[in-house]
Amino acid sequence: MIKHLKILEFALSSLLRRKLKNLAIVSVFTTVTMVIASILFLTHSFKKEALLILQGSPELIVQRIQAGRHALIPLSYVDAIKGLPGVGDVRPRYWGYYYDPLTGANFTVIAYPEGIRKTEIIEGSLPGANEHGYCLIGSGVADARFLQIGDELFLQDIKGRVLSLKVRGIFKKSSQILTNDLVIISRPDFDRLFGFPEGHATDLTVQVYNPTEIQNIAGKVKKLLPDTRPITRSEILRTYDSLFNWRGGMLLALFASSVLAFVILAWDKATGLSAEERQEIGILKAIGWETSDVLTLKFWEGASISLISFLTGIILAYIHVFYFSAVLFEPALKGWSVLFPDFRLRPYVDLYQCFVLFMVTVVPYTASTIIPSWKAAITDPDSVMRG
Amino acid sequence: MKRYQIFISIFLFEIIVLVFLLFSASAQVAKGKKEMLSLKDLCSELSLTDLSVWTEARYTRNPSQADWFSPFQDFPSSVEHFPAGSLIEPPMRRKR
Amino acid sequence: MNSDILISVQKVSKCFNRGRPNEIWPVREASLYVKKGEVVVLKGPSGSGKTTLLGLIGCMSRPTSGRIILKGQDVAKLPERFLTEIRRKTFGFIFQQFNLIKGISVRENILLPLYPTGMSFGQMSERVEELMETLSLSHRAGFPVEILSGGEQQRVAIARALINNPDILMADEPTAHLDSKLSMNLLETLGLLKSRGMTIVIATHDPLVFETEMVDRVYEVRDGRVRER
Repeated sequence: MIKHLKILEFALSSLLRRKLKNLAIVSVFTTVTMVIASILFLTHSFKKEALLILQGSPELIVQRIQAGRHALIPLSYVDAIKGLPGVGDVRPRYWGYYYDPLTGANFTVIAYPEGIRKTEIIEGSLPGANEHGYCLIGSGVADARFLQIGDELFLQDIKGRVLSLKVRGIFKKSSQILTNDLVIISRPDFDRLFGFPEGHATDLTVQVYNPTEIQNIAGKVKKLLPDTRPITRSEILRTYDSLFNWRGGMLLALFASSVLAFVILAWDKATGLSAEERQEIGILKAIGWETSDVLTLKFWEGASISLISFLTGIILAYIHVFYFSAVLFEPALKGWSVLFPDFRLRPYVDLYQCFVLFMVTVVPYTASTIIPSWKAAITDPDSVMRG
Repeated sequence: MKRYQIFISIFLFEIIVLVFLLFSASAQVAKGKKEMLSLKDLCSELSLTDLSVWTEARYTRNPSQADWFSPFQDFPSSVEHFPAGSLIEPPMRRKR
Repeated sequence: MNSDILISVQKVSKCFNRGRPNEIWPVREASLYVKKGEVVVLKGPSGSGKTTLLGLIGCMSRPTSGRIILKGQDVAKLPERFLTEIRRKTFGFIFQQFNLIKGISVRENILLPLYPTGMSFGQMSERVEELMETLSLSHRAGFPVEILSGGEQQRVAIARALINNPDILMADEPTAHLDSKLSMNLLETLGLLKSRGMTIVIATHDPLVFETEMVDRVYEVRDGRVRER
């Protein structure tokens, strides 16, 4: 143990000899680790959060397709689907988009479905069953239009008339990832706003009793109603999974060139055993260091640089992503939108990812420091000294 | 103080910081669990299928749902060029 | 055999690049012995094979043929691990080029042989302070070695050779980079060590060294062959 400490001590003074060079390596190494770890942290926690929330989305959505495009679905389809065995409730969904010329934002407008419970994520109050002329809005909408509870939200309906809606409730900022652009209004207001044809809905949600039957039911719906397209929850989750993988992967691809540059730098530094270093190994051997001592020295030289850089990188990445909402990658990773949620991500950290990152940074760096010294260290000291 | 002591102190300090961060992470996750659950409930009550992240292109607010795709979206000058639409902001001078 | 004999070299040859066109034999059938407490000089022009012979005696490389008996043990065939241990415990080396490691301090250079041992930091610094005192290097302890003068670097090299209390001090051309005044200082130091019972083997072609009275025996090395003078 004392021997290791002493060799570590010597390794550190050996590193300090090339202070600037090693400092440069530590800072580049730290930056690379930080960037990669930030991307991993960000995509992982984002994905995790998305997938957890979307567990609540309907098992099956049925949409009508007309000429390859999504069309409004007739309510007569509800009973047809309800007749299938294994199907529970079938409900129409009424939703659409509203472009707000005032702010340049797109709102997602939903007709108020029954059965919303008041939870702590809604500020204000819920409307009664037959009420209209109200709205519940996401905080993004509230911020864009400077609205507070009790204010009026003015929208322009399909005939150009102003539809005035009283703000009853605002979704809290912490729920932005789901509710940011929502405008929830009553059915009569929804019909007036969009001029929805009688007896039609945007699409249908289908409740399936047995989760293993979802694919089956989807097939049956398609067979029964050939002009529809069923979308299962697992398909949606898969879409999200790949969407975030895609974004993270694209960032990594953008970043790949700098990673490569670092690899070349590290490789050059670690493997290129200069005549000077070769000579030093010869000296150490000549004055009584064993081969294993020399390799231990090289191990500590590589390990001390890579361990410190790795840990610093991980810590900085954590702070960057979870305390500063990943400000550095905002443009690339988050993309762009007029109504954009604050990325206050819940810190889901995957230790496995950290471990993998450790294995692809610290281990190869340390190894590439040791391996070239091996050859120098196993030769006779006098031949090493003579060059 | 010997150099190795400084090194080990820095190393241990970083480990402690990291462990602290991981613990605070799981604490935060645990604390936010109730809110997560009510978000999930809201998601099912509103029958929502998608997140509200990129709302400009219609398909990115609801990427899982088929929409009326069209090259000219409502946002002025936001000519859609998937997938760049959600990545790159329209030029400033043409924004409004 | 005389029990005073510390090292006995018997018909030792060394070959480099054997079997290739550039095969050379720097040492051929060399025999010599060193007694405890002696100062022995290997004398010869450069290229005569003295450095190789010194390396063989000091267990830095292994002979191609012949035997080297160190304290009654044939070291020629020992595996590398044992050679390293013998090197560390028995020999102290002073190299022609000093072979100090640039960029680290005088103190650390002297301590080099002790890093891979179980000795505590406290014991190490005690030992190094004592040696630096003896060789009047204390005022240079924290300086990087490359800014020291030639004579001081030489003393650092000596201190490093002595730090592990060796039985035998090996010196390869110790005066090569010193002027005559510094050479005299070096010889004084070596004389002091001899008076304390240290065995010393020096390879040199400097008459100043082999003509001093402390030298007990001189071997002449020429074209790899050794002859006692």
